[in-house]
Amino acid sequence: MSERRLGGRPDLTALGPALLVLVCTAVGLGLDSYPQYVIAVATISMVVGIALVVLVGLARCITLASGSIMAIGGYASTLAVANLHLPYLVTLVLAILAGGVAGWIIAFPGTRFRGHNLAMVTLVFQSVAIILIREATWLTGGAEGIHVPPPEIFGLVIASDRAFLILIGTASAVMTLAVTILVRGPFGKNLQAVAGNEIAAEAFGASVRGYLTAAFVVSSVAIAFAGALLAPRVRILDPDSFGVLDSVFMLAYPIIGGMHSVWGGLLGGGGLRVLPELLRPVADYQELFFAALVIFVVMFFPGGLTELIRRTTSTFKQHPTRVSASSSALPACAAVSFETGQRADELLVVKGVDKHFEALHAVNAASLSVPMGGIHGLIGPNGAGKTSLFNIISGFLAADGGRVAFAGTSLLELRPRDRIGLGITRTFQNVAIFGQLSCLDNVIIGLGRNPVIHAMAASLDHFVGGAATQDAKHRALVALEAVGLADHGTSRAGSLSLGAQRRLEIARAIVSQPRLILLDEPVSGVAESETEELRDLLIRINAERNIALLVVEHNIPFVAKLCQSLSVMGAGRIVAQGSPAEVISLPIVRQLYFGEQVTA
Amino acid sequence: MRNLDVFGSTRSAVTVAAAIGLLALTCSSTAHAQDNGVTPSEISIGAIGALTGPLAFIGTPGRDSMTVAFNEINANGGVCGRKLHLGFEHASSPAESIAAVKKLVEQDKVFILVLASGSTGAAAAADYVRQAGVPTYNIYGSTPIIRNPFAKNVFHGAVVPVEVSAAALISMFYDDGYMPKKFGILAGTYAFPQATLKAAQDILKQKGRDFTVEQFDIGARDFTSQLVALQRQSVDSVLVLGSFSEAGFAIKQAREMGMANARWVVDGSAVSTAIIPILGNADGIRGYYNAPAFPGQTPATREFEARLKKHLGSMPQGRPSVYDLIGYGSGYVVAEAIKATNCQLTRDHLIDAWSNLKDAGPAVLGGLDITFPESYTPTDHQGVYRIGAAIVKDGQWQVYRVIDKP
Amino acid sequence: MLSQLGFVVLAGIKFGALYALTALGLVVVHKATKTVNFAHGAFAMLGAFGSFLIVVNWGWPYWAAYLMIPIAIGVIAATIEFLILRRLRQADMFTVVIATVFLGIALSEGFRLTYNTELLAVPSLFAAPPFIVAGVVITRDTMWVIVGALLAALACIAVFRYGRIGRGMRAMAANIRGAQLCGYSIDGVYMLAWFLGGVLAGLTGVFIAPVTGVSVDLSIAIITAGFVAGVIGGFDSPRGAVLGGLLLGVAESLSAAYGSSAMKNCISFLLLFLVLMWRPQGLFPERSGRSV
Repeated sequence: MSERRLGGRPDLTALGPALLVLVCTAVGLGLDSYPQYVIAVATISMVVGIALVVLVGLARCITLASGSIMAIGGYASTLAVANLHLPYLVTLVLAILAGGVAGWIIAFPGTRFRGHNLAMVTLVFQSVAIILIREATWLTGGAEGIHVPPPEIFGLVIASDRAFLILIGTASAVMTLAVTILVRGPFGKNLQAVAGNEIAAEAFGASVRGYLTAAFVVSSVAIAFAGALLAPRVRILDPDSFGVLDSVFMLAYPIIGGMHSVWGGLLGGGGLRVLPELLRPVADYQELFFAALVIFVVMFFPGGLTELIRRTTSTFKQHPTRVSASSSALPACAAVSFETGQRADELLVVKGVDKHFEALHAVNAASLSVPMGGIHGLIGPNGAGKTSLFNIISGFLAADGGRVAFAGTSLLELRPRDRIGLGITRTFQNVAIFGQLSCLDNVIIGLGRNPVIHAMAASLDHFVGGAATQDAKHRALVALEAVGLADHGTSRAGSLSLGAQRRLEIARAIVSQPRLILLDEPVSGVAESETEELRDLLIRINAERNIALLVVEHNIPFVAKLCQSLSVMGAGRIVAQGSPAEVISLPIVRQLYFGEQVTA
Repeated sequence: MRNLDVFGSTRSAVTVAAAIGLLALTCSSTAHAQDNGVTPSEISIGAIGALTGPLAFIGTPGRDSMTVAFNEINANGGVCGRKLHLGFEHASSPAESIAAVKKLVEQDKVFILVLASGSTGAAAAADYVRQAGVPTYNIYGSTPIIRNPFAKNVFHGAVVPVEVSAAALISMFYDDGYMPKKFGILAGTYAFPQATLKAAQDILKQKGRDFTVEQFDIGARDFTSQLVALQRQSVDSVLVLGSFSEAGFAIKQAREMGMANARWVVDGSAVSTAIIPILGNADGIRGYYNAPAFPGQTPATREFEARLKKHLGSMPQGRPSVYDLIGYGSGYVVAEAIKATNCQLTRDHLIDAWSNLKDAGPAVLGGLDITFPESYTPTDHQGVYRIGAAIVKDGQWQVYRVIDKP
Repeated sequence: MLSQLGFVVLAGIKFGALYALTALGLVVVHKATKTVNFAHGAFAMLGAFGSFLIVVNWGWPYWAAYLMIPIAIGVIAATIEFLILRRLRQADMFTVVIATVFLGIALSEGFRLTYNTELLAVPSLFAAPPFIVAGVVITRDTMWVIVGALLAALACIAVFRYGRIGRGMRAMAANIRGAQLCGYSIDGVYMLAWFLGGVLAGLTGVFIAPVTGVSVDLSIAIITAGFVAGVIGGFDSPRGAVLGGLLLGVAESLSAAYGSSAMKNCISFLLLFLVLMWRPQGLFPERSGRSV
């Protein structure tokens, strides 16, 4: 048994992107003023690139509003310096706040839509914001623009290109580090989970609306910050420099650089910003060249430059590394306290639940109960209403009537993501793992510590290698070991076989030490041999950890050997209840399944 | 047990290397001229202007015609025994303009910087050059933000300030005995028309004239709402501040709506041959012109057209435009300013010489006399105050009056 | 007063008809291929330029332009689908959006570089005097644009709904595997959809050329209006595209006249925003489905 240290190593790789920004700055210091200008502006675009990776790459939200956000940051800072005479650094904070508010405003309707409608919402924001800036001549100088006063920091006036480069490069590096910490930590992981599979994310406590809003806010904060850094460098701020076309060009940063990594944002942003300078000799053809380049990369290098680099440097096959944890370190399971009036051995009580889909009475006065530590099955032919009842219990469908109580607490008023806090987790009929994350990360999400602010704090903890991160990792490892996937901790979840993915789902469902797991067709599509293994696994989990299971399944032999009790549903009603042996031989059940006539 | 992310660090290293490689490319610079842009054989002149995008109709003629002027001057032996070399960089927005100007001034070390850009980009560049001190020649920008505050190294050439052009525009409403009763102004919301609008409004208020203002977005083609509003106010004199396409379609629509009897005066950027096909019959439309004669109106301009066509190979529609004429004239003014230093080719001498330049123009050095001559004083760096009043007659634009400084 | 309202509404309907035709082109491609072609505006611009070439440069009659241009643009669009979009069929939505956006930019820039001009004017079709109805002047050109564009749109809708072509596209949109099993080929249907979209773009260009002239910024103006109209109407509904286009045109005109002319875009975008919040599936969707 290996020793475990408390606390862990800080995640130093997160410093990489920020270091690159600083390296570029340092290189620039040795050059002339013209390259210093170009590099300073390029680092600003790197920040924009990273921000867009968060929004477009991780959260998979399209945005056409980047230009207006940059303008908002620039104008906020400039107007505060010019009119309120605030120090420049303070106005940077103001710009951040303005960007955050703008991001929140966009997210308010924006998180309700995807695809073209979302593009539309952001386009509306972009156009309206720029028009308002242009019309408010008394404040913003209108279309002609305003002079941006040179920044003053602690009495020092930033006027030389060298000073600007140091200021901008350092500030960009700081913002890069902040965003990288968020991306590499649980916040970024949860964001990808939410974008990858909304329902599973909600089931484990990650609010989709919350995370998408946070993605908008975080990216807008960074972009507005970039705008405030740019303003004094270009001396004149005018609304037409931040139009729709500029927003579209900024979208190219993550697409060309690589949408799914911070490096991609850096490469795309910096590279595309420097490109016009390189194209000076053919300035007439600059935009045509730019457009042709984007189309070329998109056609032949999907995944962008970082994907290209990854493929060419990928001489090492990724060996799944075995990570182990000592099972003796398993903390004790929390006890469940019952509300008074609840029978001590009934964990989940479903009574008289009703559900109508217009004319169809999908669930008709259904009742069942799952005892503490018990394994209860729910079977029935297709269309019997099992899935509907199951979704009502797990919170993804509203009931029309009836009661569902867990340890005395009524579940029907709760949102799906509140269940994990009570000790209820679930698996899904169509495997709902987060394919682009590692197995370890998938299981860590299962811990349920997923509210947005909590995840942000956890990202910081992850960066410094704090105890909470170690604890989460440890628990996840224990769970992976329990399902036999300890060898695949760092493998990408999407690369596993279906049986392994189902076991991963179970690991995710048990890691938070729930009292009850809802399993939706856990062996659907699984080969015979793996079915046996899964069944043994579930029995073991139930016995070792005293976790109750409610299993919906079609596979009768599987259910018969697994469950201690069964409910049979037919046409929305519970038609039979009891031990498997009793229930399966009942005539009415045989009629339901095989159409045998009930002999009088 | 360490979980070695070999992948990650290799990838990172390559990425860093790629980034630095990109940087190195940026910083590869061409051979530097002498510190102030003058070598024994060459004088380096830098210029910025829009070569692509919506404002390319300003920058591209600037580049083409200045090149024609410099070619002619160089063919005649150049200035102070040296050839004039033009380095024209594309720039439109402030960010692009600062980059271009830095490259020209700090890397290519030009002797003179020409701003052939009309808008916010020029303003940003002007802001920079006030600090940098390099002699700068603004040939197209009329907005106040480019000209204020005064700087001793910045000179403004053929395009007059908006106050002067607005006054000229208003005066054209009274030409040939017309008595305007109610004024209407149709103005674009972008930078250039807005500046002229402000100046025009001030003048009309001073004269105590009644007027109404309608605005349109850049590139607008439908003016129904604005024209309806003007009609409602019984406007009989309309000032259109916008490009030739905007003005053309506005007037065309107005005629279709029955406003045929109004007097139309358009901004200088609309005084172009390209407006005539839009209207079919454009006779009677007036506008100001930043040159004494319209291309084709005099033998000199006809000769210029031939030379420009030879240089370009073919003549794009709407050219030569006023920006071509001004660009050509400005090239000669630059040469004459350099000559006026008595070949003491330092920036300070140039600024001194330029500040005392009188009646500079192509005619002095044997070029075609197609622009207004420019004169400067140490306290007034506006080279031209005269402006032409033009009208369409028999399907051709012609300058019918020259308006001196009011 | 009333005649002024008439002017404004008429202008709105004229542009609305053009927006409708544009939006229809977008919807047709989207229905069949699930992609929004952001290069549609550039196609229309090329169509307008083609009209200039035929009518002004070569001096041929207008009906030649109306016949030849849509087909030419349709061929160009289908070729582009074959060369470029085919590779991107598996790519995610953002990549395709970016690809078509920059494709549009490349086409516009290409045009600008070959024919360097700010605006090319195209003469009106009819020289005859306009009609005057209740004080509102209706030029024959306006009449032609409204009637012609709407008729073309209705014809396209009919083809889509009743023709075999349309059936194939709708089938493919609903269920690719199933449609393939029924004998429809993906490649064929996609190329056909782009061809149809290109035809509609070319037609839009020819109609719009006398109204606005041919310029590079035409491509952006057209795609923006078409996209907005499509979202208002309901992106998968051809009928919605037409109605959405008309609604957008009239709303823009009214808001410019009675609101502020500078804020015209602002107001029409806000209108769109309200539509999105209230009925995200569009005002005139094809069938009211339950969103899963």
